[in-house]
Amino acid sequence: MSELIQLGAQRPKAPAPDQLELRFSDKAIAELDALRTHYPTEKACILPGLWIAQREYDGYLSPAAIAEVAHRLHRSYAEVEGVATFYSMYTTAHQPGRHMIEVCTCLSCHMCGAYRIADYLEAKLGVKLGETTPDGVFTIHEVECLDACDRAPVLQVGDQYVGPVTEADIDALLDRLRNEDSSAVVQLADSIVQVHLRDTERAK
Amino acid sequence: MAAAVQTETVAITINDIELHVPKGELIVESVKRLGLEIPIFCYHPRMKPVGMCRMCLVEVGFKQPDGSVRKMPKPQAGCTLPASEGMVVYTDTEMVHRDRKGVLEFLLINHPLDCPICDRGGECPLQNNTLAYGPSTSRFLEVKRHLPKAYPLSEYVTLDLERCIQCGRCVRFTEEISGDSQLAFRFRGASMQPSTFQLTDFESRFSGNVIEICPVGALTSSKYRFRARPWDLETRPGLCTLTPCGTNVFYDYRSGRLVRINGRTNEDVNEEWTSDTTKFGHDALYNNPNRIQVPHVREGEAFRAVEWSEAYAAVLGACEGKRTAVLAGTMLSNEDYYAWQALARTALATNHLDLRWQKTLLPASQMLKARTGLPGVQYGIADLENALAILVFGTNLAADQPMSYLRTRKAWFRNGARVVVAHHEASEAESFAHVVLRYRPGTAAELAAGLANLLAPELADATRIATPEWTEAQTGVPADRLREAAEALRGTEFAAITTHGLFDEANGVTAYQTLALLTSHAGGKFNGLVNHANEQGGREMGFAPDLGPGGEAVTAGMNTAEILQAAAKGEIDTLILVGCDPIRDFPDTALATQALENVANLVLVDSAQTEACAYASAILPMALPAERDGTYTSSERRVQRMERILKAPGESKAPWQIAMELGLRAGSSAPYFHARDVMDAIAEQVPAYAGARYQDIPETGVRLANPEGLTRSNDAVVQALQSLLGGR
Ligand code: SF4
Ligand code: SF4
Ligand code: FES
Ligand code: FES
Repeated sequence: MSELIQLGAQRPKAPAPDQLELRFSDKAIAELDALRTHYPTEKACILPGLWIAQREYDGYLSPAAIAEVAHRLHRSYAEVEGVATFYSMYTTAHQPGRHMIEVCTCLSCHMCGAYRIADYLEAKLGVKLGETTPDGVFTIHEVECLDACDRAPVLQVGDQYVGPVTEADIDALLDRLRNEDSSAVVQLADSIVQVHLRDTERAK
Repeated sequence: MAAAVQTETVAITINDIELHVPKGELIVESVKRLGLEIPIFCYHPRMKPVGMCRMCLVEVGFKQPDGSVRKMPKPQAGCTLPASEGMVVYTDTEMVHRDRKGVLEFLLINHPLDCPICDRGGECPLQNNTLAYGPSTSRFLEVKRHLPKAYPLSEYVTLDLERCIQCGRCVRFTEEISGDSQLAFRFRGASMQPSTFQLTDFESRFSGNVIEICPVGALTSSKYRFRARPWDLETRPGLCTLTPCGTNVFYDYRSGRLVRINGRTNEDVNEEWTSDTTKFGHDALYNNPNRIQVPHVREGEAFRAVEWSEAYAAVLGACEGKRTAVLAGTMLSNEDYYAWQALARTALATNHLDLRWQKTLLPASQMLKARTGLPGVQYGIADLENALAILVFGTNLAADQPMSYLRTRKAWFRNGARVVVAHHEASEAESFAHVVLRYRPGTAAELAAGLANLLAPELADATRIATPEWTEAQTGVPADRLREAAEALRGTEFAAITTHGLFDEANGVTAYQTLALLTSHAGGKFNGLVNHANEQGGREMGFAPDLGPGGEAVTAGMNTAEILQAAAKGEIDTLILVGCDPIRDFPDTALATQALENVANLVLVDSAQTEACAYASAILPMALPAERDGTYTSSERRVQRMERILKAPGESKAPWQIAMELGLRAGSSAPYFHARDVMDAIAEQVPAYAGARYQDIPETGVRLANPEGLTRSNDAVVQALQSLLGGR
């Protein structure tokens, strides 16, 4: 059978450098150039480079985004993809919604009803953990300990923690977020980029 | 160019035996000194250790002042553990045995155990280690995970993810050795998998190596999959006859049929690597369904199978008193070339013979040695490793000289050699170049002059117009970049490397000579290598229109292009093609076709049917290199021997034998009974080969030394450089 698979196989080629559609804004390019100077090698710049890309590509490290980072840092696509898929805070699976709600289901939160909260979110939004609502507003995720056990059960939205949460809090939170146009995932990526930059290097 | 030798040693104890080893040597290597072995998966002596598989666990302790040994509480990975003073290592304790069992039990938890149908079965490190050190049963009763099987990563490499033990050897190979970084681990933990970016095509010139270094059957050869079981294969050492590097390989065959090529270790040539051309190219050659079995002569529109004697008579009849020319392919052995040139020059009375197929064919009088007194090959592939700086000029090194490319990269990766890459198009070597000089096509000579101007301050003023600015205007290489390149090379006794492909560029010959002189002036070494399999040997055997064996001058005959032109005009009566097809090999296909159409007698000595057969009047079956004994000279001038591995099909004969038998019939040749006899004759005529007699050639081959007197005084070099550059 595998013979058959091989016969029909036509692997696509990786994009050549001139086929890439580069999307980094001037600001992003300036930030990346500044970050490059912080490290001895360009390889070391992959992590912050990916954060810039996650912001520039609406919170989603698509293959194109990964290729752009690799291209700008003179690394191979595969290497940068390997890094991006290793860390769970980079979103490489699919385009997330405007707001990503991360539910901690680790021990303390679990004891305090994290799955009740997760079930409530799933029912309310009509999607399962790891999925995005059809209107593209919310993505819900399950994560490990957020280091805020004192506030269990805890949710993370962008760079904010909410907890301890109740069903009523969730109703209010969803309403608030629905009316917020700016994207929490982009905001989170941006604040991480800003943390990496020196004050003089931040776009004013 | 020599690297410093580290001599500091430390005293360690392995299994109660004391020994001294170099400080910092990895324990996995130290135990080998005692003839012991630690089982491994991820460690590979040619790559950096990563300690990913934990197969190599050993117990380690340190000698205390009171003479007792204090053991570390946990076992250590022998592949990442550098030897230090007083270290005490145990490889054979109860604890070590339990650890090994544990590691193997874990590795096998999700392993599919496809052994009965797995390509690796029978030569699989996982099988072997399990047999020697593993548990006899597993406690894991749950369902194993399932992953894609038979995933084609490229035309050559198929990935079976279930079998992968995530050792990272393949990933590290592409990162450390081949340098294309095409493979990386995606995801993490239990889902970690080696793959290309988005599972796109695995594009590498060296991809075949990962199949060999994968310790399980995860990366398999798409060509070899399910074709044989290792224990059914016979294997013999041989050589690659497709690349100019002289790569050492094993030919694995079954029932007389070649099934795969594996790398064979030769530290002086290919270490253990192969290029994909080497690994996958031989199959089409040897297993060609159109192999010629017996001699044929034309009868009207058809061919008639004949006895050799009749074929010989037909060939000699066609040559008798006719205008004859001989063209040969680049894959023949030294004996073949020697015997054919001897036949051509005696019985056939012609100097029209050539084996070169590129566009520009230089007469010997214009070659480096004649023009500048410098030899074209001054160092070996392995010498690149110790160079402080390397200048790669006018060649796509990875394509033209794959093994020189790997050494160049190794010099950079391991020793931090500075590599300057000058070429008119992008090439792999740029990825690790210190400076890239991308010149406009056809301006190689100007660039070489620009470099000479910066690196040879003794040049007279008249020749110094090639300033960086002038060079920038001519070649498009920024003046500062050129200065940077010169700085990188200055004072390093750099190794320069280019190929005869440079001749095809405008003024390429001047560029080539400038480079050679400039390198010599800077105290470096220059290699201007041939680009085809045994082209180097063929030339030295005198298979050239204007040079006899050993470079003896003869009345110049026509070269390949001239022969084809003459043939096209009907000025050649008989053309003999030995292992070549001008329609396939010559850049100008139209001319080649016209030539073949217009010769009265076309004699073909070849292994398989080619397009040229349509025009042939006689076809003689030729045995391929691995089907006979012979010696080959690689581009670095290493003479190596390959003994017969496969049986030649039908009545095929070695080309030297055909030439000799023709010669015997024409009364011009002495009988040779073996390639060895031809080599003896060669040794008499070609002094350089006196030390390379057939039976004396060691397993790793001998690299021919350049005769004394081929180095020139600096003044002479400066003068030559001056006259070369004076014209501009
Ligand atoms: S990789 Fe080795 S152990 Fe695994 S299925 Fe193949 S032969 Fe068996
Ligand atoms: S494919 Fe083979 S070489 Fe690569 S990580 Fe898996 S087991 Fe190791
Ligand atoms: S378990 Fe949820 S924050 Fe620690
Ligand atoms: S060989 Fe030492 S950890 Fe793999």
